[in-house]
Amino acid sequence: MAQHLPIPVVFVPRNSFFHRLHPVPKLIWAVGAIVMAFATRNPLVLLVLFVLGILFIAGAGVMRAYGRVMLVLFPISLSLIVFQALAPAFPQPWTPIAGFGPFTIYQEGIYSGLSLLLRTFAGSNFAVLLVLTTHPADLFTALQKFGVPHELNFMVSASLQLIPIVQREFQIVLSAQRSRGMRATGFGAAIPSMVPVFAGTIERVQQLAMSLESRAFGSKGAKTSLREVRASAKDVIFGLIGIVVTVAVTVLVLQYQAQLDWSKTPFMPDWVSVALVAVAALTFIAFTIALWWRASRE
Amino acid sequence: MSNPIVSIQGLSYQYALTEVPALRDVSLDIAEGEYVAVMGPCGAGKTTLCLSLNGIVPHMMAGGVEGKVIIAGQDTAQTTVRELARTVGMVFDNPEFQLSQVTAREEIALGLENTGVPRDEMIRRIDEVLGLVGLRGFADRSPLAMSGGQQQRLAIAAALAMYPRVLVLDEPTSNLDPIGKEEVFSVCAQLNRERGMTIVIVEHEVEVMATYASRVVVLSEGRVALNGAPRDVLRQVQALEAVGARAPQVTELAYRLEQRGRPVAEYPVTLEQALAVFPAEGVR
Repeated sequence: MAQHLPIPVVFVPRNSFFHRLHPVPKLIWAVGAIVMAFATRNPLVLLVLFVLGILFIAGAGVMRAYGRVMLVLFPISLSLIVFQALAPAFPQPWTPIAGFGPFTIYQEGIYSGLSLLLRTFAGSNFAVLLVLTTHPADLFTALQKFGVPHELNFMVSASLQLIPIVQREFQIVLSAQRSRGMRATGFGAAIPSMVPVFAGTIERVQQLAMSLESRAFGSKGAKTSLREVRASAKDVIFGLIGIVVTVAVTVLVLQYQAQLDWSKTPFMPDWVSVALVAVAALTFIAFTIALWWRASRE
Repeated sequence: MSNPIVSIQGLSYQYALTEVPALRDVSLDIAEGEYVAVMGPCGAGKTTLCLSLNGIVPHMMAGGVEGKVIIAGQDTAQTTVRELARTVGMVFDNPEFQLSQVTAREEIALGLENTGVPRDEMIRRIDEVLGLVGLRGFADRSPLAMSGGQQQRLAIAAALAMYPRVLVLDEPTSNLDPIGKEEVFSVCAQLNRERGMTIVIVEHEVEVMATYASRVVVLSEGRVALNGAPRDVLRQVQALEAVGARAPQVTELAYRLEQRGRPVAEYPVTLEQALAVFPAEGVR
């Protein structure tokens, strides 16, 4: 049995400026980015926000981990471009810019696809930065000071622990099923393993509850914390900048809403739009085939 | 006994949805500093007895209770498990099921954080208990990256850091290999000897308990069948067999020899005693 289990804490230990930063200013930026991303659909504003996030992530030295996390969004973003271009989430009439047989690409679709895509990434970049550079316990220790209950901290850290354990138990049950000649690949094999795995997990959680009560978990009175999270001047400044930027950008963007609405403006040459949709469609198809091929080989 | 730290008075307990009671009219006093080994076959009520010592029975279990358990002057029926946790440390059989934190340091800190121990004191105690259980240098290791014996010693350390007066261990070695077992036994013996900590341990390794324990309690069908010093309890080979427990191998050997017409002056219960007794009987 594996002695070293991967702990699925996406937190990447480093010693960058962002790692040393207090969790609260990072949280302010994460929330601020989401507010800004949803305040506008303008691709240029979103692009600037997105690039700023990427610069922060690169500065924290967690680019590789960021790429791994964002890979999940890759096929979704491709399909966003393609489907939005063909059927924009916009009131008609649409402005066609190119056609292939039954398919027509619309200007509004390109605009809507790009802004949805950029909004997703620009909004999540800072949240991912927070998660990648903050130890979960630090985040909750900091939040505790703002009245977030101590139990929440525990819930997060305990469930992080439970994931690799349940994964391993699942592997053990699957191996046991396989050694007795049961089908052990694909989704069909997972179903008969569910009952033993979940029954085991419930027992484990019951035992854990007893163990926690035996260590005074949830007792009344003052609590202390092993982790220490101190705020310095740079934390306050970074947090304030986050608030100022969020408020300023949101106010400006809402004020110039009409000028920033580019849905009817051809902000890219037609051939760029067509190439974008074609590449996205082909990559999406290739990706789907590759996935299907891998699944059928197992 | 003048002022026992654990006083169980006529305790009966039946879990909900079961046919027979787990404990029937158990009375037992334990003085501070005793090392009590609890033995008996499966279903004898050993675990229920342990769980009643910090109030998990009856507070966290559904069932009917009669009688009283007094721990250091507190009636467990009137006190919460959380409060009793300051007096009674509890270690369960499966080490992995008790650990929930990302590092050993945080695992030990959990109970201290809950009882509001100041941070400096916390750091000092973590260091101390890690040394006690022989895990110095493991503070930043994930409990998942430890062997079973190390995990169980960490679970013991987490209980110890709260400075309990009574340490209750429910089959702490049942999932461990022989080396892991020995690690746990020697930590318990050391705590009992050097700190005068009261130990209550459920254990099947009768040979080991014959050496370490100051008292052996044998349960059978929820009742106390035998109770006394290891020397007095473990030599009752027939009585032990009758309730489904086992005498140490050396004691059983003496018993079998006697049955075959080779009486032994005194039944040994430990290997040392056997070495003294058997040569005199001409057994080599």
